Amino acid sequence: MIFDVAARSLASKQVLIPVERLLGDCTGSRMPHIEPGLLTFEAASRAVAACPMSALRLEQHHGIRQLILDYAQCNGCGQCIDAAPGPFSLATRNVPCGVSRSALICHWDVDRGHVLYADEPAAQAASAAIQALLGRALNIRQVDAGSCNGCEAEIAALTNPYYDLERFGVHFVASPKHADMLLVTGPVTRNMAEALRHTYEATPSPRLVVAVGTCGCTGGIFEGSYAVAGAVDAIIPVDAYIPGCPPTPAMLLTGILQVLNAVQDRP
Amino acid sequence: MTTRVSGNTADAVALLKVGHSRLVSIFGSIADDGSRCVNYLIDTEKREYRLFSEPVHGAALASVTSIVPGAAWYERELHDLYGVEIEGHPNLQPLVFHESWPSNVHPWLDTSANPVRGKYRFLEVSGDGVCEVPVGPVHAGIIEPGHFRFSVVGDSVLNLELRHFYTHKGTETRFEGVPASAGVMLAESVSGDNTFSHAVAYCQSVENALGVSVPPRGRALRLIGLELERMMAHIADVGALCGDVAFAVPAAYTARLKESLLLASARIVGTRYWRGLSRPGGMTRDLSNESAQALGAVVKSVAQDFAELAQMILATPSVVNRFETTGVLTRDVARSLCVVGPVARASGLRLDIRRDHPYGRYRAMQITVPRHSSGDVLARARIRIEETTVSARLIAQTIEELPAGAVSVSVPGQASAEGLSAVESPRGELLYFIRLREGLVQRCHIKSPSFQNWPALPLAMPGNIIADFPLINKSFNLSYSGCDR
Repeated sequence: MIFDVAARSLASKQVLIPVERLLGDCTGSRMPHIEPGLLTFEAASRAVAACPMSALRLEQHHGIRQLILDYAQCNGCGQCIDAAPGPFSLATRNVPCGVSRSALICHWDVDRGHVLYADEPAAQAASAAIQALLGRALNIRQVDAGSCNGCEAEIAALTNPYYDLERFGVHFVASPKHADMLLVTGPVTRNMAEALRHTYEATPSPRLVVAVGTCGCTGGIFEGSYAVAGAVDAIIPVDAYIPGCPPTPAMLLTGILQVLNAVQDRP
Repeated sequence: MTTRVSGNTADAVALLKVGHSRLVSIFGSIADDGSRCVNYLIDTEKREYRLFSEPVHGAALASVTSIVPGAAWYERELHDLYGVEIEGHPNLQPLVFHESWPSNVHPWLDTSANPVRGKYRFLEVSGDGVCEVPVGPVHAGIIEPGHFRFSVVGDSVLNLELRHFYTHKGTETRFEGVPASAGVMLAESVSGDNTFSHAVAYCQSVENALGVSVPPRGRALRLIGLELERMMAHIADVGALCGDVAFAVPAAYTARLKESLLLASARIVGTRYWRGLSRPGGMTRDLSNESAQALGAVVKSVAQDFAELAQMILATPSVVNRFETTGVLTRDVARSLCVVGPVARASGLRLDIRRDHPYGRYRAMQITVPRHSSGDVLARARIRIEETTVSARLIAQTIEELPAGAVSVSVPGQASAEGLSAVESPRGELLYFIRLREGLVQRCHIKSPSFQNWPALPLAMPGNIIADFPLINKSFNLSYSGCDR
């Protein structure tokens, strides 16, 4: 009987998603996409007022009125989209993933309606080097330092037949001693801070640390709680950030490959 | 459905001694005059929630753990968070706060000094060949942190002691001062895999407090989301159980089934786990009838595939051999620890909030509640398999009868009121108690099924071998974050 099921499983249509469709995809993340051409000062003001996370703000620099979105603080509640539909919509592509903290902060000129500066979209940067990445192996140790388990559910999904992270030579390992990368979710609680430090110390150098999720990146809605020590980078050094509440498997994959890419480009 | 009783501890204790009443929760609160109160929430034999509150006046509170062992963790939590002395408790060691916390600091109170914290001592088991095996908080897989301390002789487990609350985030205090409509974001981040159950339980508690009734279409969409969440959880659990006995085919197969439900959700409702869809008053987004049909088609095909797979799993002798008689939780233990959800139903208890305290659209539906009595891993697997079929049927029926009209109503912004609401989450009874003052949350208590069920896990271990622990633990599948909050 087991062979029947296995045979049917093999015969059923291929579910593996090609890498081109995954890189840069963020469907289902609920994060906002901002259309520069439709942006007005009024719409931006409404969205900023609606944001409960202080992820959106309006500031004036060099005489330019700027809308600033910090993806690391956005938990995808969608209230900006309700407040300013049109310029704000659900993002399906190119939320920056696996980049530095500052690259998660994007700026728009609200009066002239264009992107002032933002990091290169992760997808384009990563896809060029994908071939070079195949054949390399990366061992990841995942550490839950206080998360709600939403991020864990999505990280675990990376191993399912749709995403099959192992096709890139990326494995999850049981011990930090076998790991090249720590994938850390947060917020880091007071009760987990020490265990996170020990795990970091047990990971051999050179090691990469990636903070995952809004809470891991900034503490998110738990920032300031008596029981929370802070974001991951308040406890151990962090190399790159993947935002999202939770980040989708495609965002996690994009982020992990983006980090590899950046390391490879390092002289 | 809910009655507030101006009784005191003595009344609560008297009620708990009655045969068919069940302790739901014990929690602290601060009264308007700043004094500490203790609240007992009890499900009576008439299937009615009753809340008893009493101020704590200096002196110690008498422990009810000797009457209801399921009260043990609640009283320890009360002791940690509110500094309430509990007289006659068998083990009043710190539960929530670990050694790294400064002593005499009490985050939940401004003034009161915290009781002595000191070092936590695990139960010492001694004898020839007894050794201790510490596991965690950082585990080998992609799972949450917690500590397990085994005392073993050879492979056999003599004792298991849990030390949790590594993910304690002070979540209940985060609700304080937040507008009632915004609190749902916090509720969604209590236990990420049951995020929609938490959102609905929270929203219903606000709606009950404010006397708001969600329109029929909103109630129907909530039911679809809740049952979809149950299907995803149960399918993943059954797959993980197979993974733990090295049966890789169903593990991969169920991962595919769960992901196809998540992808369908992302495509059709815009979010994989239904975050951001429930708000006090109803749903934030409607679903066209065509979209609902499309979702229904995916659910139907997943349910069919899963039913066939489950049949194959249960017909595989090497699987049944590992599941049967492993990790038995007896009915008596389950009852005395007030265990809820699939774990309770696998140990022969009749308990399902959808039927006992119906809410939303469940009031109009007939719910089949599977029950098994062997209390082993096999019984817990069977419950999940059978409930998946029931959930798929409920979704299909709801989509077929999807009422027309609005999906939400507006809620008053400035009210002061109290409300509570329970849902049957995939892990069991999940209840929110909420108190609003001029539209802001003043107190929010979360009764989590995992907090209730964790203490039962060690009682299913003795006599089993340590290598079966992952399997037994997975068959309970409790949330660490949901418990620790």
